[in-house]
Amino acid sequence: MSTLIVIDQSPYGTWAGREALDMAFSLAAFDQSVSLLFTGAGVNWLRKAQTASEIEQKSVEKNISAAPIFGVKAIYADAKACVQYGLGLDNMLAGVAMAENSTELLHEHTHTAFAG
Amino acid sequence: MAATSSLQNYTLVITGAPYSSQAPQTALLFARAAIAAGHTLDRVFLYGDGVHLASSLSAPPSDETHWANEWARFLKGNSVPGVACIASALRRGLVNESEKKRYELPASNLLEPFIIAGLGEWVEGTMASSRVIYFHAGG
Repeated sequence: MSTLIVIDQSPYGTWAGREALDMAFSLAAFDQSVSLLFTGAGVNWLRKAQTASEIEQKSVEKNISAAPIFGVKAIYADAKACVQYGLGLDNMLAGVAMAENSTELLHEHTHTAFAG
Repeated sequence: MAATSSLQNYTLVITGAPYSSQAPQTALLFARAAIAAGHTLDRVFLYGDGVHLASSLSAPPSDETHWANEWARFLKGNSVPGVACIASALRRGLVNESEKKRYELPASNLLEPFIIAGLGEWVEGTMASSRVIYFHAGG
């Protein structure tokens, strides 16, 4: 079993992305193969230097950076969405792989779960 | 014409709240249809806003369907476990007796037969069942 958790909403506006991330960490904690795909507005999760304290939220950067430590296999960003939102390797968090073809990525996993 | 081998064991995940999304209704219709067709349900997992479905304190007008009670009846009648994620539940004010005591809250409101447990229940569901279906709020 391998699971791809897809986050397609920007951070902070809803809780869905955080809860999807918790699902990924939980699978990893149970030694299940899991990767993350950020697509659409969701790629904004991967932006460097987020100042979420201004809206009394915790930055999601730490959570993303901790993902490999917790056993999340890979973090993918949809390449087209990155272009759309002005994201490149210079202003993105380290350790993110660009996914040129998200369809292929979906086919490579037996399970897919979207943030609500 | 459905062969025995095509029968599925489903885990349902509901992330949309009742009375603000269609998710709990759609999931219940799916669950009834699945059972009627001979499939089995491994468990129903409430996550995110979906935990509101397990509140014993919702009181919709009498001419509207009481979705929490409908779900509770279905789960009891078919011996299907209903689990609300503890992290989602505590944030949103859904607590059982032990959490009420732990956090010294004035009341508990978990509807039977729902239980509160960790995300590990969802992980187990994904491993134990042949299909996992998500019911989101959409929009």
